[in-house]
Amino acid sequence: MSKKVSISKYIAYLFLIVLCVIWVIPVVFGITTSFRSQTEVVSSGFRLFPKEWIFENYVAILENTSTAPILRWLFNSVFIAVSHTLLVIVIISLTGYGYSRMNFKGRDTLFFTLLGISFFPGVVNIIPSYKIIDAFGWVNTSWAMIIPGLAGMGNIFLVRQFMKGIPGELDESARVDGAGDFRIYFSIILPLIKPVLIVCGLFSFVGSWNDFLWPVIVYTDVDKMPITAGLLLLQDIYGNYRMIGQLMGSAMLAIIPTLLLFAFAQKYFIQSINLNSGIKG
Amino acid sequence: MPDRKRQAHYFSKRRNYKAMNKKLFAPFFFVGPHLILFLIFILIPTIYGIYASFTQWNLMNDPVWIGLANYKTILFDSSSTFHTQFFNGLKNTLLFVVISVPLLIVIPLLVAVALEHKKVKLKGVIQSIIYIPGLISISAAALIWLLIFNKQLGITGNVFHSQVAWAATQPYAWIIIFVITVWGGVGGNMIIYRASIAGVSKELYEAAEIDGAGSVRRFFSITLPSINFPLIYTFVMTTAGAFNVFGQPLMMTDGGPRQSTHVLMMYIRQLAFGQGESIAGMASAMAVLLGLVILVISALQYYVMNRNTR
Repeated sequence: MSKKVSISKYIAYLFLIVLCVIWVIPVVFGITTSFRSQTEVVSSGFRLFPKEWIFENYVAILENTSTAPILRWLFNSVFIAVSHTLLVIVIISLTGYGYSRMNFKGRDTLFFTLLGISFFPGVVNIIPSYKIIDAFGWVNTSWAMIIPGLAGMGNIFLVRQFMKGIPGELDESARVDGAGDFRIYFSIILPLIKPVLIVCGLFSFVGSWNDFLWPVIVYTDVDKMPITAGLLLLQDIYGNYRMIGQLMGSAMLAIIPTLLLFAFAQKYFIQSINLNSGIKG
Repeated sequence: MPDRKRQAHYFSKRRNYKAMNKKLFAPFFFVGPHLILFLIFILIPTIYGIYASFTQWNLMNDPVWIGLANYKTILFDSSSTFHTQFFNGLKNTLLFVVISVPLLIVIPLLVAVALEHKKVKLKGVIQSIIYIPGLISISAAALIWLLIFNKQLGITGNVFHSQVAWAATQPYAWIIIFVITVWGGVGGNMIIYRASIAGVSKELYEAAEIDGAGSVRRFFSITLPSINFPLIYTFVMTTAGAFNVFGQPLMMTDGGPRQSTHVLMMYIRQLAFGQGESIAGMASAMAVLLGLVILVISALQYYVMNRNTR
């Protein structure tokens, strides 16, 4: 029996270690290559760590403000992701309150109708969405990425579920004391739903930061685009791998923010899942 | 402050009126903003997208109604490039779905089970390592992976002495697309499975162990049936997501070699927003067809899996 346990232990370990090595290599390779000189990259065959660590790639990246203004792109991405996340939190908490705490005619019918419609595949609305963004004059502006995503139903569904777990007596007693809906929302419900708001906020940030299809459609102006769309251009600008260190350095700068977020808020990323599996009950 | 007298005067008269007004206004304050956003960015574009598929439209002028002509061309006119593009795109998209979805279910499940093993240490670290690629954008990830698979400069060339131009040769072009997809996609499902497995009662496992059931047996008769809802959920969601594949082939192979990794999403974008005059009506018809395929397959998956587990 104990022998059996140890065999299965080694199989489990072997599998996990192989996977972890494969999973880590690209990140390590990307980081170290961003500190390599082009001559080393081209000449010396493969080595995991650079012969000599150099910073010229990063200097060159930051100095190129004309064809690949990476600081500009990073700033755009930060502005978009932060504004989007804050607005998501406001919208989903207000809407979640409306659909779970307030009584108005047809409330649940309305909610489930919207939810049903939102299951319709999003491919169909991409082209008209572009036209609408264009009509608002939002093409090549940050609004194109901040606003449309606020219409989604997924997070509102989660917040509503979460709010249903909060006992109704809390608002009843506040109502007796003369508090209105806004007071109850603001001073009772909002503090209690903080965990679910943090989780939804984090995923909105990462989703907005990494969105690819939509920015590729909406931005043609190099100065206005977020970093994900910018990196697509880089392939041509630093083309055919003539400036690999700079290419890798740019990719590294693009992934730092989400990795930092993960480092500080790891438990919320992992927690999210309890919300997911909570859909069942 | 408004004049007190006036206020008192209005107060009695307006009380009922005000209460009713408030009854309508308050819900609208909470639900209204999102409702408006929903109408503008989901409902109207979806309806318009379906309408546009029956029109000739260049995104600039008003769409011109042409009935089923777009669909007829796409589905039946084998001399048309739209017909070839659609079926090539659909074939490639289906190939991507059929191979990537099982990988994105089975590998995370294996990781979750291996991490559940009592004797395995450093669970948190391993979990983080496997989760992190999911936080990296496809464009950044692709730049790194392309370098790894580069014939002269990458790891495959220098360490394994492979002389293949991966992105330009089949089946390697597909392989690098699947590698980056699995690398980035395993973490999310893994976390869902881990949480679900952690919720399965420990006594079940202990009882099975006493009865002499091996770990394989325990996996198939306890773990799998206990997490059937998360399994259906991830299966349906992962499949729907895979049908929308776009970034990986665009970045890794640009649809090549000879359009053999050119997926439907890329054709739709190209027709609507590519060089030259937009062919948005035709692109909309392709989008509607793709949407229908996704809907039908999601419904089938849900129906079949739900029935089999009951």
